[in-house]
Amino acid sequence: MFLAILVCKLGRFVGKLVGKGSSMPGKFALKICPDILRRVQMPPQIIAVTGSNGKTSTVEMIAAILRADGKHVVYNEEGSNQIEGVTTLVLTHATMGGRVKADVLLLESDERYAKFSFQFFHPTKFVITNLYRDQLTRNGHPEWVYDAILPAIHPETELILNADDPLSSCFAVGHDKVKWFGLDKCSVSADAPTGVYHDGAYCPVCKAPMVYDYAHYNHIGAYRCTKCGHAKPATDYTATGVDLENGTLTIDGDVTIQLAFRSIYNVYNILAAYAACRECGVAPETASGVINNYILKNGRMQKFTLGRHHGTLLTSKHENSIAYDTNLRYVASTKADCAVLIIVDAVSRKYFTSETSWLWDIDFDQLNRGHVRKIIFSGRYCNDLAERFSFTAISPEVWSVQPDIAAAAAELKAQGGEDLYVVTCFSDRDKLLTLPDVKKEAL
Amino acid sequence: MDIRIIHFYPDLMSLYGSYANVAVLKRYLEGLGNTVKVETVLPGQEADLAGADFLFMGAGTERSQKAALADFARFGSAVKAAAESGTAMLFAGTAMELLGSTITDDEGKVYEGIGLAAFTSVQGKKRFAEDVYGATGLFPEPVVGFMNKCSTVSGVETPLLDSLSLGFGNEGEKTPEGFHWKNVFASELTGPILVKNPRLLDAVAEAIYRHRGETLPEERPVDRWAEDGYAVTAEQLKLRCQSK
Repeated sequence: MFLAILVCKLGRFVGKLVGKGSSMPGKFALKICPDILRRVQMPPQIIAVTGSNGKTSTVEMIAAILRADGKHVVYNEEGSNQIEGVTTLVLTHATMGGRVKADVLLLESDERYAKFSFQFFHPTKFVITNLYRDQLTRNGHPEWVYDAILPAIHPETELILNADDPLSSCFAVGHDKVKWFGLDKCSVSADAPTGVYHDGAYCPVCKAPMVYDYAHYNHIGAYRCTKCGHAKPATDYTATGVDLENGTLTIDGDVTIQLAFRSIYNVYNILAAYAACRECGVAPETASGVINNYILKNGRMQKFTLGRHHGTLLTSKHENSIAYDTNLRYVASTKADCAVLIIVDAVSRKYFTSETSWLWDIDFDQLNRGHVRKIIFSGRYCNDLAERFSFTAISPEVWSVQPDIAAAAAELKAQGGEDLYVVTCFSDRDKLLTLPDVKKEAL
Repeated sequence: MDIRIIHFYPDLMSLYGSYANVAVLKRYLEGLGNTVKVETVLPGQEADLAGADFLFMGAGTERSQKAALADFARFGSAVKAAAESGTAMLFAGTAMELLGSTITDDEGKVYEGIGLAAFTSVQGKKRFAEDVYGATGLFPEPVVGFMNKCSTVSGVETPLLDSLSLGFGNEGEKTPEGFHWKNVFASELTGPILVKNPRLLDAVAEAIYRHRGETLPEERPVDRWAEDGYAVTAEQLKLRCQSK
């Protein structure tokens, strides 16, 4: 164990000097001592967060709250969330005797790889934010991911689950320790699920039809199976009021916070972080004090100017239709005239694929609003976007195609001064943000 | 012509834009001056397949596939009769497996397919999710798409794609893919394969016309975006093949 820790610490030190990633030292340590994660002395609290969306934001807010509560928190800020990265994180913060120097180990955990990390230790609390169509080129489909997470759940782990998600809520079946977070019916709720497809149409347990009392977005809401009784459970941590127009969220009827970013996603991430921290014994006022007007550091939203346009880049994760839908809903909710630039150039920054089926799962008709004056598609897969839009009700007069991202930016700069929203992914965002005419602004 | 399309289980079997196969075919046929009616069939719902011009079912999760199969079995005889008489149909993604004789799940449980074809599907714990670039005898242009399945399919004598340069086919890497017999098209390629492959869309439309005793018009509307999108993807996948 001593050697594995030493190699890992040295590897991490050298890696930082040469700007290398954080998984390699852990990889070496695992070769020396494959069960090193079982041998080290973990902190009293281990919190893991997984799910299709919201992992990074939720983890960041949990860390901020726990630190404000005086806890020493170690977490994988660099996002290395497979076993090698987790090993690097743990050993880097361990004494040479193998004791992890922290009150809380906080892990953003990859959905499909959690079972590998947690075969050696298990989280005391496991937050699962949601499970839906995401990265089909890696993940297959949501039920496949569900089956991959299941072995990572230890009977002694306290699950903190999203009551409004019909699939991830199934993790509670046969599990004793479960706490639920969810949203009451509120101003954003619709009577029925929205979107191009309906993944809540059939029960994930028995495949009988489900009905909804209301839905907050897509198929996330108050569901009920008509046959087996699978239904939204009563919640322990509840958003009792949400007003996205005025940017307020009320939790459990008495904690009201301001939202720095007025998105339903942000509401769920805040609620998940709040629930996890309250379960760790943090007082409501401490948690709410931190997340009030909390501006995420992970940079998924970026303000900028381009000519006379004030721009907002909304990072949307390609291959994730619900992330796109959420950002499109945000654009639709704005009032001032705007232009929208959608960039799909590299489907992934990590691997090759030409797969664009996921574009057909996105509800682009949300942009069929009078104030959306212009939509431009750019990047290698701009034609696929145009084909998809040709099946929407949006007038072809509104949208156009410019494959070259710099040329699309130049076109926008030359015309008008309306608000500009850019919808794209991590893989493509810097292709716009690094252009000389694009001036980034602080949030 | 008045054309009837029957879309089985549009919510249950709907992964990754499967519905767009019906949408693009409908628009294509309407562009040729036809009137197209799409009828959807939900589990438990009655449907009259007699006189239908096109049957479609899209991709679903393995669990949804079993639920679809449990209901679809009652249509087995009618679907086989329709296929025998030359009705055009497309079963895409995991729906293809329903046409075979059996599906064995990852726990070894065997489900009876409708037996339109003799092939068998065996599902496992490993998933094959990757781009596909292949060739069909139906037209000279390559077929592009994405495979997203956990099964191997054995016993297909008449595949839709005769060879793959990239990706997982019926029985393994770079093996033939899908199934094609008379006017039955089946492929485990996921999503809107008729959007991604304009020539396959032509072939399906031609099958519908042929069954009606008509010839697909030479002059057809050109879907510029689909053609350009196909060209980009085909080029990317070809480069990928060359680099491997």
